[in-house]
Amino acid sequence: MKAVNAVTTSWPRLAVERPAFAAVAEAELDAVHRYLLFLTGDRAVAEDLTGETFEKAFRAWRRFDPRRGSARTWLCQIARTVALDHFRSEERRRRREERFSHGRADVDDGPAVPGELGEALAGLSPAEREVVALRVLLELDGPTAARVLGISRTACSTRLSRALKRLEELMRDARD
Amino acid sequence: MPATDIDFERDFAEVVARLRDVPAAAPESLRARVHALGEPEAPPTLRDRVAIVPWRRAVLVTVPVCLAALLSVAAVRGLLSSRPERNVTASAVSGASTTPEKAPPFFAPVPAWDSATTEHGALSSGVGGSGRPAHVDASMRVRVPDLDTLTDRTREAMQIARSLGGYVASVQQSTSAGKPGEADLLLKVPVGHVDTALMRLSALGTVLDQNLSVVDLKQTLDQQRSRIRSLRLQIARLQQALRDPALTADVRLRLQFQLDAARQTLSRLTGSNKATLRQAALSDLSLALTTERAAGAATKDHQGRTERAVRDAARFLAAAGAVALFVLIAVSPLLLIGAAWLYGSRAYRRREERRLLAATPE
Repeated sequence: MKAVNAVTTSWPRLAVERPAFAAVAEAELDAVHRYLLFLTGDRAVAEDLTGETFEKAFRAWRRFDPRRGSARTWLCQIARTVALDHFRSEERRRRREERFSHGRADVDDGPAVPGELGEALAGLSPAEREVVALRVLLELDGPTAARVLGISRTACSTRLSRALKRLEELMRDARD
Repeated sequence: MPATDIDFERDFAEVVARLRDVPAAAPESLRARVHALGEPEAPPTLRDRVAIVPWRRAVLVTVPVCLAALLSVAAVRGLLSSRPERNVTASAVSGASTTPEKAPPFFAPVPAWDSATTEHGALSSGVGGSGRPAHVDASMRVRVPDLDTLTDRTREAMQIARSLGGYVASVQQSTSAGKPGEADLLLKVPVGHVDTALMRLSALGTVLDQNLSVVDLKQTLDQQRSRIRSLRLQIARLQQALRDPALTADVRLRLQFQLDAARQTLSRLTGSNKATLRQAALSDLSLALTTERAAGAATKDHQGRTERAVRDAARFLAAAGAVALFVLIAVSPLLLIGAAWLYGSRAYRRREERRLLAATPE
C-alpha cells in the first residue's frame, strides 16, 4: 500500500502529492546509510550522519518535490551536504588539535567493511567511494548520480570507472 | 545507456558482486531514531511554496507572461489612442462665455432653449429654432480637393444660402497659380435654417475648423421694448398736457421741448429695436473654402486606424524598452557583482568539496 501525504499547496499548478515521510524513511534508510558508510568509511560517523540527514529531511520535507527527482536522490543530496559539513568540521577540529595530518575521517572502531574489500575500499578516496556507493549500491543512474555529485555525467562515469578499476587492483593486491 | 556511461556491471562484475554482498543494513538504533521523527504536521508556508518552484520554470513562465502583458497593454493603448479624432472645434458665445468642444455641437438633436445662459450643451443645437431671439455667428473652414472643385463648391455655397431664404453678403475667391485656392463667403441665412445651412455647407468638403457663437438678444429686446413703451406713454402725457389752454408760454415751450426729445429718442430706439430684430432674424455664416491641405488633418485623414494603433503601440513598447534599458544599465553593475559573487562562491564550494573528498587515506 502506498501511503500518501495529503500536504499540497493551494495553487493548483504547484500542487504536490508527496508520499508519507515515514514511508520514504523506511524505504530509503538502508540506502542512505550505506551511502554514508561508503563516503565516510566509518560506521559510527555514518550512523550519526544518517540520523542527521533524516532529521534535516524531516524539516525540509514540505519542500520536497517528487516531480524534480526521486526521494532517494533528494535524500542523497542532503546526506552529501551533511557529510561535507561533517568533513569540514572534522578538518577544523583536526587542525585545532593537530593530531592528524588531513583529509580523512576518524576510523576508531575498525573499517566500515570487513575483509579485503574493506581494506581495498579504505585505499580509495571519499570521492571515489562516494561514486561507487551511488552507482553500484544505490543503483542511481548516471545523470542522477552526476546531479547529486554536482559534476558532469562524463566526469561521473570517468570517476566510477577509475574507482572500480582501482578497487579491483587493490583487491587483487590484497589477495596476492 | 549513454555513450559517456560505462557498463560497470559487465566490466567489473566481480567487484560489483562483492560490493553488493556487503551487509550494510542500518542498525536498529538508527532505525528507531528515524522512526521517532514521525510525520511532518506543520502546513507548508509561503516560503515552502515559493521554494518548491524551480527557478528555471519560474523564469520560463514569468518572462513570457510579462512580455504578453506588456504587448497587451501596448495593444490596448494603441487601440484606445487610435479612436477617430475630430479636428473640428466649435465654440459658443453668450456674453463672455466661450467653450470649445471637439464635436460640432449644432448638428445634435434640438433641445429646448429655455435660458439665456448658454451653457455649452444647452446652446449646442436648435440655433434659431427655439423661438428665443438670438444672434448667430458661425464660421467654417472647409477643404476641397482642387481649384476646379473650389469654384463649384463656392457656387454651391451661394445656392445653399439662397435656397434657405438668405443671401450672399460677400464673396471673395482667389486662385493664384502655385498657391492654394481660397474662397471667402459671408452668407446671411435665416436663423431658423442655420442648422440646415451648416450641415449642407459642411458637406462641401472636409471640415477643418468651425466656430459658432450665439448671442442671446431677448434681454436686449425686452429692454428696448420696455423703454419704447415708457417713451410712448411719456409722449402721450406730454401731448395731453400741451392741450391744456391755460398753460403759460414758458411751460408750454418746455413741454414742447420734452416732447420733441422724447420723440427723437423713441425714433432712435425704434430703429435700434428693428436692427436687433434683424440681427435675430438673420445669422452670419462665414465660409472659407480652401484647397490647402492642413498638415495634421490631412495626415490624420489618410492614416488608417490600424496604422495609428500600431504606431502608438510601437511607441509605447519603445518607451517601455527604453525604461527597461535604463533600469538594466542602472542595475547592471549590481548584477555583475552578484553574478561574480555567485559564480565565485559556487567555484569555491566545488573546490572545497573536491579537496575534502579527494583525500586518499594513507
